Amino acid sequence: MAKRVFVTGAGIVSALGIGKGATLQALQNGVSGVGKLTHIESELSSFPVGEVQMDNAQLSRMLGVEYPVSEVRTALLAIAAAREAVDEANLTDKDIRKCAFISGTTVGGMDKTERHFKNVIDADLATDETRELKYNDCGYSTEMTADAIGKFEMVTTSSTACSSAANAVILGANLIRAGVVDIALVGGSEALSKFHINGFNTLMILDSERCRPFDRDRAGINLGEGAGFLVLESEESAAHRKVSPIGELIGYANACDAFHQTATSETGEGAFRSMSNALAMANLAPEAVDYVNAHGTGTPNNDETELAAMKRVWGDKLPFFSSTKPFTGHTTSASGSIESVISLLAIKHGFIPPNLGWSNPISAGAEPVTGGGRNSEVKIVVNNSFGFGGNDSTLIFAKV
Amino acid sequence: MQCKEVMMERRCFVSALAQVSCQLPLSDEWFDSPCRYEEGYVRAQDPSVKGIISPMEARRMSKILKRAVCTAHAALETAGVEVPDAIITGSGMGCIDNTEKFLTDLSRYGESCLKPTLFMQSTHNTVSSLVAIMLKCHGYNNTYSHLGISFESALLDAWLQIGSGAVRNALVSAHDEVTPLMSRVMRQTHPEYSFISECSMSALLTDGNCGGVVCEVESVRLLNRPEPEEVAELLAQVPDSVIMTGINGNPINDSHYEKVLGKLCNAPLLLGYRHLFGDNFSSSALGFYAACRILERGTVPQFMKLCKQNNKVEDLERITLLNHSEGSQWSVVKLKRCERCGS
Repeated sequence: MAKRVFVTGAGIVSALGIGKGATLQALQNGVSGVGKLTHIESELSSFPVGEVQMDNAQLSRMLGVEYPVSEVRTALLAIAAAREAVDEANLTDKDIRKCAFISGTTVGGMDKTERHFKNVIDADLATDETRELKYNDCGYSTEMTADAIGKFEMVTTSSTACSSAANAVILGANLIRAGVVDIALVGGSEALSKFHINGFNTLMILDSERCRPFDRDRAGINLGEGAGFLVLESEESAAHRKVSPIGELIGYANACDAFHQTATSETGEGAFRSMSNALAMANLAPEAVDYVNAHGTGTPNNDETELAAMKRVWGDKLPFFSSTKPFTGHTTSASGSIESVISLLAIKHGFIPPNLGWSNPISAGAEPVTGGGRNSEVKIVVNNSFGFGGNDSTLIFAKV
Repeated sequence: MQCKEVMMERRCFVSALAQVSCQLPLSDEWFDSPCRYEEGYVRAQDPSVKGIISPMEARRMSKILKRAVCTAHAALETAGVEVPDAIITGSGMGCIDNTEKFLTDLSRYGESCLKPTLFMQSTHNTVSSLVAIMLKCHGYNNTYSHLGISFESALLDAWLQIGSGAVRNALVSAHDEVTPLMSRVMRQTHPEYSFISECSMSALLTDGNCGGVVCEVESVRLLNRPEPEEVAELLAQVPDSVIMTGINGNPINDSHYEKVLGKLCNAPLLLGYRHLFGDNFSSSALGFYAACRILERGTVPQFMKLCKQNNKVEDLERITLLNHSEGSQWSVVKLKRCERCGS
C-alpha cells in the first residue's frame, strides 16, 4: 500500500492579494485581479496582466529581506507564499531540517537580468553590473526562498514552463512515498518579466481585454504573476506532529503531448493521458470528480484541446469546471500551485469559483461554472497544468 | 540530519550512456587518449547530425538541441530501447543561446520586431520536449534547473520512479551550452570555475529488464547546506569506495571538498574529471559518465587520479560521485559495479 500524502499547509500570492483569505474573498465576490501593468516599463502595457500590487521595495520591507533577494521578484513572491504554508503547517526549524524544498520557475531572475542586460553588453561586460546577471538562473530564486524559510534538507527546482509548479508537487510526493523525506514544501513562483510578456506577444496569444477561457470568442491569455506553496506530508508525520490535513493528494500524473513546442495536439493526447493516469493512480472513476480547475488559458488552441481531452475522459457529461485565470492572469510556472491552493479552498469552503467573462460555449455542453460561482460540497478536485513542449501534469486533491 | 538509507523496491541500472563535450563526441576515446586544453573556455566538439536530424530541422536548432538529440539517440540505440518510459533532463541554463539572442534583440531593437522562434525555444524544458516530440514519447517528461545539481535532481527523480516501479526505464540527460558571451559573464559570476566548457550527456536507466548493464545506481542524495561532517558520514557509509569529485584545481571550488574529505578517517582514492571535461552547470553529468565507464571497464585511467599516494585499486567495486554547487548544494551518488556488467 503506497503511503498517503496529505497537504498540511498552503500559501498563495497573486493579483488577488496576499494569502488565502484575500484570495477566497476575491473569488467569492467575483473580483478579478487582472488590470494594468505598472511595475515594468513596456510598450506592451496596454495588454492587461494579473500583477501583484506590491512592488519589490514594499515586498522586501514586508518580508524583512535585503539585497540581492530584494531585487529578485520571483523569490520575494515565493517567500511570502511559502511562509504562509509553513505557518499553517506549524513547521518548526527542526521539522524544516528534514524537509525537502522544491520550487518551480522558468522566469527565475529574468526580470532583474533584463534591467541590467543592456548596460552590461553596451559596456562589453566591463562593468560591475555584469555580476548582477548571476541571479538569472532559476536555482537562485529557489535558494533565496529556501534560505529565508529555514535550513531544508534538500532543495531543487523544476522548470517545465507553465507546469513547473505541478511537477514540483509530483517530485515532492514521490520523495515522501519513497520515504526519502516525510515533509516537502512544494510549489512554484513566477514574476512578470518584459522577456516573457514580449515572448508571448511574438506568439500573438495575448488578449488585449480580460481573458475569456472556454468562450467561443476567446482571444488569448493575460499573463500574471505570483506564487503558491503546499506543505506535503506523510500521514504518519502529520499524525505525529498532531496537525490536521487540509486535503490529500490522492493522484497525480505527468504526460507529454509530444506534438509541438507551443501548440497542443487536436485530440489533447498529453492532457488526456495526464488526467486519466492521475485518475487511475487515485483509483477513481471519472464521475467521482466534483470540480476540474482547468488549465484554461484562454488561447484558442489550449481551451479547445483541453475540452477535447476532458470529453475523452468524461464523455459529454462534463463535471463542473472553470478556469480561474480571469481572476489571477496566467501565472505560468506558478499556476499549478496557485490553482492547487484555489482547489484546496474550493474543498474547504464548498465553493467552486466561476469562470469569469464567459458567454458562449465552444461546443455543445461545454459550459463552465459561471456567474458568482457555485456553493456545493467539493470532495474531489482535478487540477490541470499544461506547459510549453506539451509538458502536461494533473494533480488530484481530496477532502480528508 | 538523519542519513538514513532509503530502500527502494526495485534496483536501478545504467544501461547505456553517450556524451558530447570538449572530448571527442559520442566516443570513449578520452579514456585512452584525452584531449588537453590550455584555454580558459573550450566549446564542445559537435558530432555530425547526419542521419539523425534532417538538414532542414537542424538549421532551426540551436547547438544544445542538436547535441541533446544526438546523445539521446546514441544512448537509446545502444540500449536497444526505441521509446523510453520517461524523459528527465537537467539543465542549469536551458536554451541560453536563444535566450541571449532574444534578450539582445530586446535591448537593441526594442519590443516591436522580436522573433517568435527564439522565444519558443528559449525555455529550459525545450530540450526534453524536443526529444519527446522526435521520439513521440508520451511518457513522464520533466526538467530540473538548479545550478550545479540540475543533473543529480533529474537522476534522483528517475531513481525514485524506477525504484518504485512507476517506470521501467528513463532517459536521464544533462545539457548546458555556454555561448562566448556567457563564458565571459561566468568568469565574473562563477569565480570557482576553472576551464569552462559545455556538456551534453544522456543515460538510459532501467530496472534491469531491458538493455545491457553498465553499472548500478545504488542511491542518489541531495543535501542543502550540509555540515562537512554530514557529507563525510554519507561517504563513510561505503567503505573502500573510490570518490569521483568535482575538484577542478581552483581553490575557491576545491576548498569545499577539502573540508568534507578532511573529516574522513581513511584517505580514499580521489578521482577528478573537470580537468578533462571543464566546468559548467551540467559538469557533474560527465563525472557520472566517466565513473560509469570506469566501473564498466574495471580500470581507472591514471590521468583521473588526484592523489599521489599509493592508490592501486585492487578490487574496484564502487564509485561515489561527490559534487557541490558553490558549496551550498551537494549531491552524493553511489554507483556499484555489478556482476552483469558488460552482459
